[in-house]
Amino acid sequence: MKDDYLWDGSGEPDPEVQKLETALGRYRHNQPALAFDPVAEIRPMKRRWSLFSLRWSYPFGAVAAVVLLAAAVFLVLRSRPTGNAGPPWDVARLEGAPRIGRHSLGEKSGLGKLGIGQTLVTDSSSRATITLDETGRVEVDADSRLRLITNGPGRKRLSLERGTIHATIWAPPGEFVVDTPSAVAVDLGCVYTLHVDDSGAGLLRTTMGWVGFKLNGRESFIPAGAICQTRPKIGPGTPYFEDATAAFRGALSKFDFASSTPGERTALLGIILADARKSDALTLWHLLSRVSDADRPGVYDRLAAFAPPPVGVTREGILGLDRSMLDAWWTSLGFGDIYLWRTYERDWSQRPPNAK
Amino acid sequence: MTVWPVTESHEDDSLVSAARDGDRAAFGRLYARHARMVHGILLARVPPREVDDLVQEVFLSALRQLHGLRDISRFGAWLGTITRNRANDYFRKSIPEANCTEPVSENQAETRATNHATEQEAAVILGVVRALPEAYREPLILRLVEGMTGPEIAERTGLTHGSVRVNLYRGMQMLREKLAETARGAS
Repeated sequence: MKDDYLWDGSGEPDPEVQKLETALGRYRHNQPALAFDPVAEIRPMKRRWSLFSLRWSYPFGAVAAVVLLAAAVFLVLRSRPTGNAGPPWDVARLEGAPRIGRHSLGEKSGLGKLGIGQTLVTDSSSRATITLDETGRVEVDADSRLRLITNGPGRKRLSLERGTIHATIWAPPGEFVVDTPSAVAVDLGCVYTLHVDDSGAGLLRTTMGWVGFKLNGRESFIPAGAICQTRPKIGPGTPYFEDATAAFRGALSKFDFASSTPGERTALLGIILADARKSDALTLWHLLSRVSDADRPGVYDRLAAFAPPPVGVTREGILGLDRSMLDAWWTSLGFGDIYLWRTYERDWSQRPPNAK
Repeated sequence: MTVWPVTESHEDDSLVSAARDGDRAAFGRLYARHARMVHGILLARVPPREVDDLVQEVFLSALRQLHGLRDISRFGAWLGTITRNRANDYFRKSIPEANCTEPVSENQAETRATNHATEQEAAVILGVVRALPEAYREPLILRLVEGMTGPEIAERTGLTHGSVRVNLYRGMQMLREKLAETARGAS
């Protein structure tokens, strides 16, 4: 079959695919590897020491052993997770006079340092960026308060108490986390903007990649082009693409956050399903686990019409909220591999979020 | 086309372990096995002239962060994420933010200054592929440019076979339509 040729090169060759392979082959990777030796020095090979192979006298060896033991105990105690092991974040002024604690950053101040527990505050006329080479860069808009909570290796946690940040993160997924009063945002490889208003309500807009939003077991995944609102004590709402119809967005907002009777929620769901487009599979997948048992079949049917469930995912399993089947369906939608979320979420979710 | 034996996927684990202990040759082998994926992911997002340098940057970044990789069996997916982040960062630093949502379009695709008709045709085709939705352009470039098979794309990127297969076929269908439109426009 020609389809087999596109899949794995077997079967009857497809002339059109062959032509494209020939034409595009000129762009194929052909660079030799760098000499990685210099950078490998960052983490040198383990050396195998043998104390007794050294010709030390026994008294000297005993003293050395005691010193080594004391040093080891000190290092072990010191290496306990304090969340304070990383270097401070560099803060650069963009406009006005942003403050770190009591210190203002003026035009001639140079870079400031944001340490654990410190808060970066911008007023209505100031903006700043914070950068950590191994993690990413965060632009802090005017009227914002941003506090550094954790700065350990592989674990950076900020708290956005108010205002707006624009995050560009190149750390591995799951390492950069931002608490807000109404949800926790976990970077899964992305560029995004996060806004928190004075009431603690939030709005997350993803520009590239995707972000996980979570509070009290309620999860939302926001891929590029989508946004998600949060409310204190409720958590993240259902994400949606910004170009969804006004009726769709309005009904979804009420469904997520308004006090409604079961009947009203069913009516709102009817509007959502009727106005859903193929790209709104994002929203429909999230709704599967947020609607009542009675309403779930309708959501399943609508989503399946847009994006058939992958092999191994059954209607019965989804209606029963089988986690592995829901995950498999999500991954098949092409917004991101759920594995990233499940792996990293398992670790950080063991700690209580700093959400109010 | 290179078809990777299934057993090779298990070799990644031992290579990653060795590389974490400072074995430079092991990391070199990881480069050899994954460079096409990294190259393809970048080619789907950034101008072709920038890709080779960024490939090296991605591997250097991966080497520095390797100790932070928790599940070594997911090295490929992890490396893919680093690559996409690096491409994102390229655009954050290179173009106004307003353009970030569509980093690559047919018009932006680099047309190499050449009179050679086949090279121009290749540049046009690449531009059309890069204008496809993200879910399609990445597997198509890995398949058509880098010569990877569907199973290999799935294995390297950590995606399911079904997901890659669907995106390849739908992407190919959309590519055919776009190329036909382009040809009609040219005539």
